[in-house]
Amino acid sequence: MLDQSERIPASFRDPSGFVFRRDGQIYRQVNLEYKETLNHLITSGLYDGLIRDNLLISHRDVGREYTLTENAYTVIQPETLPFVSYPYEWCFSQLKDAALLTLEIQLRAIDAGMSLKDSSAYNIQFVAGKPLLIDTLSFEMYEEGHPWVAYRQFCQHFLAPLALMSYRDIRLHQLLRIYIDGVPLDLASNLLPGRTHFKLGLLSHIHLHAKAQTRYADRSVSTEQRKMSRLSLLGLLDSLKQTVQRLSWEPKGTEWHNYYSITNYSESALRHKAQLVEEMMASLDPTPALVWDLGANTGVFSQIAARQGAMTISFDIDPAAVEKNYREIQAKGEARILPLVLDLTNPSPGIGWEHCERASLMERGPADVALALALIHHLAISNNLPFEKIAGFFRQICHTLIIEFVPKNDAQVQKLLASREDIFVDYDQITFEREFRNFFDIERQAPIQDTGRTLYRMVRKDG
Amino acid sequence: MLSKKLLAVLALVTLVYLALPAPVYAYLDPGTGSFIFQMVIAGLAGAALVIKMYWGKIKGLFARLFSKESQRSKEETDA
Repeated sequence: MLDQSERIPASFRDPSGFVFRRDGQIYRQVNLEYKETLNHLITSGLYDGLIRDNLLISHRDVGREYTLTENAYTVIQPETLPFVSYPYEWCFSQLKDAALLTLEIQLRAIDAGMSLKDSSAYNIQFVAGKPLLIDTLSFEMYEEGHPWVAYRQFCQHFLAPLALMSYRDIRLHQLLRIYIDGVPLDLASNLLPGRTHFKLGLLSHIHLHAKAQTRYADRSVSTEQRKMSRLSLLGLLDSLKQTVQRLSWEPKGTEWHNYYSITNYSESALRHKAQLVEEMMASLDPTPALVWDLGANTGVFSQIAARQGAMTISFDIDPAAVEKNYREIQAKGEARILPLVLDLTNPSPGIGWEHCERASLMERGPADVALALALIHHLAISNNLPFEKIAGFFRQICHTLIIEFVPKNDAQVQKLLASREDIFVDYDQITFEREFRNFFDIERQAPIQDTGRTLYRMVRKDG
Repeated sequence: MLSKKLLAVLALVTLVYLALPAPVYAYLDPGTGSFIFQMVIAGLAGAALVIKMYWGKIKGLFARLFSKESQRSKEETDA
């Protein structure tokens, strides 16, 4: 059996079980030592409550038949995730919602005599527009008197990055890409402005917390004699919740703030482009399941893809655009769009042990369709990428590509060239088509009204 | 006699054992500093939570006291 199944490389820390893939499906083996705990999760009614309110991923028990090792109790099959994203790709509100979800689950767990034994941001995924805990084995039995074992992790994975984004700079969430177990608290304490010492929550959970860590760094202290009452634990969780709730960030002065009004798009050109994208999407057979909209801005064209029924990942480099996109889908209850922050010229790499704990962007593809609208000039001119390299990249990440060619005389390209020498002698439509034809067959092409731009639909040559 | 003594010793050992908190077998390292700090801060947070929960009542009590007070002073001025 083992040869057909493959253990997921990120799943090695928790002795309660592990995740594996078998015939393209994801399963989780639960080890014998976790038997009682899993049973309590179910019989206490905690599981049903969390599923009913859409806080935890649902699973079905597929029994011992699929087990991989001797110490197995059973195997469960969790609901399938359409796309896995990571905290360093989330906008402020996504991380904040994930933090509040973790605390809500912990409060409910305590009510049911359980507690979260970890509070990793990587245990949260966005499904149908909402954050969801995906690690069914995150619960342990709560024993009165015990502190919360995942307190430090909560502060590092959620509180510290949120505080840094809110009080210092939104781009600091990228620290999560460097520190896989969350932002070290002494670093967060150093980076936060002095005025955060006057915020009770941040003073305690970050600044004083960091000092306590330094103080006890080299000491071995027995913690067994000390007890922490249930009331204290509830107080701690309430304090964390309040601290998170008070953190805010408002997108302003974004790069793309008024993008649609400053391009040379007229109202009718924009409408025509939307219509073309819609037609090119609608005539695809089979209907795409996963669409990556690259350079999606606030997700205007992602909405077209989502309307066709595709799960659409709406990537943009600008955290403010992603924040706006996320707030909008929250307000609308849009379940098929997942906005994420991504710098396409330096996309998320594989990180962690053996580069395998968190997958790179490419490993999470390919998408059925990639949308690259008003993007090519940013890659070719701002990032000096030859068309050949751009085409080669798209070949790896999608089957079908809907791409907009923006000619050199376009106002947006002229803006990019305004402050630099035009070294881009090959930047023209003929070279563009020739280079993309090496990897793609052009199925359709249509000029966009009132502009010099052209929209293409291409399919990858090997299918 | 011997079995009674043994029983008593066993009971005592069991009691002492039960009174001691079980060591924490966590796969996640909670960090010594974080653990100790948490207990301190949680004590304060717990107290704050109690005040918060009863805040309505405390406020109500003061409100009543003050309204009586103002009522009385009003009556006194009227008189």
